This record gives sequence, structure tokens and C-alpha cells, in this order.
Amino acid sequence: MNKRSDQSIWLALTPLYSVILGLAASGLMMLLLKHNPIEAFAQLFGYAFRDIYNVADIFAKATPLILTGLAFGFAFRASLFNIGAQGQFYMGSIGAVVVALKLGFLPPVLLLPLCLIASVVMGAAWGAIVGMCKSRFNANEFLISMMSNYVAVAIMNFLVRVPLKEAKGEYPQTDVISEAAWIQSLIPGTRFHWGFILALAAALLAYVILWRTSLGFKIRAVGMNRSAARYAGIDEKKIFVIVFAISAGFAGLAGFMEVNGIQHMVVQGFNPTLGPEGIGIAILGNAHPLGIVLSGLLFGALKVGGNLLTQTTTIPSSIIGIMEGFVMLFVVLSYFVQNKVILAQRKRRLAKGEDVA
Amino acid sequence: MMITGVLMRALQMSTPLLLGSLAEIFVEYTGVMNMAIEGIFLMGAWGGFVGAYLTKSLFWGLVLAMVAGVVIGAVYAFITVKLKQHQIVTGVALNILSGGISVYLYRVLFGVPIIPLTVESLRRIPIPVLCKIPVIGQALFNQNILTYLALILMPVGYWVLFRTRLGLIVRSTGANPEAVDAAGINVERTQTLAVLASSAINGLAGAFYSIGFLGMFSDDIIGGRGWIAFAICFLGNWNPMGALVGGLVFGLAESLAVLLQTSGIRLVPNELLIAMPYVLTIIATIARKQFNVPAFLGVPYVKERS
Repeated sequence: MNKRSDQSIWLALTPLYSVILGLAASGLMMLLLKHNPIEAFAQLFGYAFRDIYNVADIFAKATPLILTGLAFGFAFRASLFNIGAQGQFYMGSIGAVVVALKLGFLPPVLLLPLCLIASVVMGAAWGAIVGMCKSRFNANEFLISMMSNYVAVAIMNFLVRVPLKEAKGEYPQTDVISEAAWIQSLIPGTRFHWGFILALAAALLAYVILWRTSLGFKIRAVGMNRSAARYAGIDEKKIFVIVFAISAGFAGLAGFMEVNGIQHMVVQGFNPTLGPEGIGIAILGNAHPLGIVLSGLLFGALKVGGNLLTQTTTIPSSIIGIMEGFVMLFVVLSYFVQNKVILAQRKRRLAKGEDVA
Repeated sequence: MMITGVLMRALQMSTPLLLGSLAEIFVEYTGVMNMAIEGIFLMGAWGGFVGAYLTKSLFWGLVLAMVAGVVIGAVYAFITVKLKQHQIVTGVALNILSGGISVYLYRVLFGVPIIPLTVESLRRIPIPVLCKIPVIGQALFNQNILTYLALILMPVGYWVLFRTRLGLIVRSTGANPEAVDAAGINVERTQTLAVLASSAINGLAGAFYSIGFLGMFSDDIIGGRGWIAFAICFLGNWNPMGALVGGLVFGLAESLAVLLQTSGIRLVPNELLIAMPYVLTIIATIARKQFNVPAFLGVPYVKERS
């Protein structure tokens, strides 16, 4: 509480400045293609909020992004780096699609929960392997989770090319899952589905685990000072595995959202940037569940507007990656500025003889 | 004949991994991890192709590759060394940004070509007499300039690191920055220069993928190879000779995978072969027990004020 009170309202808005600066920097890149960036951004946000369908699409796009954001952010609270959200997402997708294909005769009340559980379990198991490598062998979790992405892609490519290939046998994709396994739309005729509510619930769950349970206390203790946590009797090795399983479970759940909510099948190499974007979202949201939800919505809007912008103008779609990269970079820079400002404020108060906690 | 081909390709595939891991070893000894390595590889591949295509000269391709690498490295050094911000987070941001910028600038320069643009790749330089040695002659002594450079740089790097004053400074900076500071050597400057130098070498390594043998650029041209080079630095225990062995093993693995893919023998699915280097990295990372980690790796050095 104390820490918050000596930060002014302006300081609380730093993520917003980072976003504006990041978009401005990407605007300079648009000038290279002789596009007026102000017009382009007006167009981008105009498209994103043009009609109910597009606004609904923002929520649809934000849903998996919030989850991969949580996948990085949750582990980040334990000072662990889960770079493997992409692979965990693919594993979750496989879990969801296999259940939906093989048990398609079940009624939705049974089928949907089963798909959800399968996706979370598959993702969590894939992530727990990374956690186990970390705790058993003290391996570098950054490297292992990074490499696990490429392995997961290969596994998915194989499964979709051979055992799960569509009945027609034409493309490397699975059959369409039965309608009983589709997540219902919240607003009929749009892609805004119930999954978004589930993603919010997941964010709430992450918050509750981290700040309202003893497990969360241990996780944050390990994150702040590993040796102090160890002396306090916290089994950090167990925490590594648990954190990776939970983090990866979020990413796996994103697989359920995309397979059952949007695609209704698995296509080789679909959504290839969900994982890296989740990292950006988590950093922009300061690894806090609420921040992650808001950043996820912002990235969703950038995606919806950006896609339409690149379809209707000659600006290439790689501009979306540039926007994300610049925004992240400015967020990192803003941490520096923020610390400087807070330090200066405290010094001023100290000089005035006020008490600084 | 087949063995020669496999060895030849193994050396070829290991070239960028050797360069990248050597660069990473040097920079990590100063206490900074170059986490932007994957993005710098990609920018290097982009710079190599663009430079070579626009000037019709591979030399300028290599120069632009180094420049592109150094630009990303400079941003990385500024944020992590000067402003002391988080290395992994900064690296992730720069990798995403590099992915966007390289593809975007390729588009700005060339539009959407109907057939992929190509340049002639680096020519092989057979070394007289030696290349006539049976089996290994062609593999070892008929490679392009970057492969020779990588093979020479590994022992040279070892010598510089462990036998010269420069190497001592580099190693001390990551092991005991305070002592280095007390000796009157600027820690931040050493770290910054190390990041810039490693980025230049990483740019060259990236260029190997675009103009070393393919002669073209695509957005997925690196596909995690930067991280493999990063891993080899760990696996080689921060020793250039260890990294040499590691790099060659990975090169051989990639070469065998290519052989099995093209041979028509379907013992195992292709995807398994593609995944092999990554699985190998995981296994090697787990199996590696003794680490020679620089004491202050990843910890920003903050000079105490008097």
C-alpha cells in the first residue's frame, strides 16, 4: 500500500506512454513505405471498432493471448522463464482435438469439459517436463523451454500429417470436430465466445493462487530471493515443477480456446506467434493478471485492426511484429525511467524531512 | 563418397554455430548474456542477403550483416549495460522486433517478388594439395571463407581468452567486476564493447544462412539456430575448444538429418529428424553437470558511489 501511495497518477500510466511511443516508432517505419502513419493508425483503430463483429473479434483474439500471457507472467513471478508457451499451446490443442474427434458422440455438457481438461493436462504435462529438468538437473529452464517449442511443433506436424490427418487426405489438418464440441458464441453471429469468460476466470485464478494462497506466497518468495526462500524451508525444487505445470496449463487452455472456439480443427502450424506475443503481453502487463488481461485486449485490438489494415493497404503484416517489438522495448525503457522518477521523489521528500518507508 | 558429403555438410552446418557460440562465450565472460542472439542472427541473414543483392558483391553483404548485427547489439548494450535493465526481457523484445523489421525491410526494398530473389552464395575455396587428401580432403579443405574463419577463430579465441591480457580482462569482468573497476578498467565499456563485438560475429553467423549456401532470405531462415549457438556456449563449458566439439556434433546431426531426409529411406518420420538438434540440445543441457559459469553472469554491475 505504502509503495503505491508515493507514486503519482502519472507514473501509474507509464505502460500507456510505452504503448504510444512504441506505436509512434512503428509509425516511422510506415513512412518508409510512404504511408501516413497517423492515417494508418486512425484506419487501424477505425477498423478495430467499426462494427459489432470486429469489436467481438477483439475479445476472440484476446482470449488465447491472455492465456499465453499468463503462461509467461505466472512463471515470471517465481523468476522462472517459461518461453515455451507456443509448444504448450500446441500440446493443449492436440489434447482438445483428439478428445473432440474421438468422443464426438458425447453431448456438449460432457464433451466440452473433457476437451478443456485434456488441453490443460496436455499443456501442463509438457510444461512440467521443463520444470522437472530444472529441479532434477538444475538445467537452464530458459533454454529447455525454448527448445521444447521446436520439439512440440515437430510432434504436432507429424500427428497432423499422419495419424490425425483429415479423412479426405488432402491437407495437413485434422477433420472438423463435431458441433457438440464447439464453444458457443456469447453474441450470436460473432466469434466472441464463452472462452473469453473462461480466460478471465483463469486470470482471476492466477491472481488468487499468487496472492491469496500459501502456495502463491512460496512462489513469490522463490521469485524474490531464492536463497532466502530456501532458508525459510521452502522446497524450491517442488515449486519449479508446480509453477511450470500451472503456467503451461494456461497455455494449454489456449489450445482449447482456439480449437473448440475458433478453428474447430487443428491445422499444421496455426497461430505461430501466440507464444512470443504472450511474453510481450505479460511484460506490458507487469506480470500481473489484471495487467495481462488489459494488455491482451490491446494486442487483440492491434491484431484485428492490423490485419484489416494490411489487407486493405500495401502495409505488410510484419508491421504487427514491429509494433509489438517496439512496445515491449519501450516498456523495458519505462521501467528505467519509472525507477529514476520514484528515486527522485523519495530524495525530495527525504530532503524535506518527511518519513520515507 | 557419401562420408565425404556428410562431413562436408557437417562442417558447413556447424560454421554459424561455431561463430555464434564463440561470440557468446566472450560476451558471457564479461558478465553479460547476449540474449538478442536469435534476432541478431536473423538481422545478419537479412543484411547479408540485402547487401549482396544490392551491390552484387558478397563482401558488402558480409559488411552489412555485421552492421545490422551491431545495430541490434548497440540497442541491447544500451538497455542492459548502461540502463541495467533485465537481459532476458530485453532480449525477447529485440528478437520479436528483429523478426518484424527484417521481414518488413525486405518487403520495403523488394516488394513481393513472384519468384524468390537469389544471389550467388559464397564460393568454395579449395586449398591446393590438401583438398586432394582422400575422404577428408574435400570436407576440410574445400569450404567457403566463413567456414575457414570459424575453424581458425576457435583456437585463436581460446588463445586470446586464456593466454593474453585482453582475455584476462574479459574473464575478470564477469568474475569480479569490482576488482576490474579498482584496477582502473571501465567495466561498462568492456561489457559494451564485448556485446558489440559479439553482435558483429553473430551477424556474420546469420549471414552464413542467407549467403553462405542458400543464396536467399526468408523469415524462418534461422529457426532457433541462434539459440542452439547460445546453448553450445553452455555445453562447451565456456571454453572455445569445448564449443568447437559441440558445434561439430550439432553440425553432424543436422547433416545426417539432411542425408536421411533426402535418401528416400523412411526409417523414421522426417519430423523426428527435424526435431533432432533441439532434442539433442535438451539432452545435452540436462546431462551437463559441471559448470564454469562466470560468477556475475546476468548481474548488472552498479558502481558504488563514494
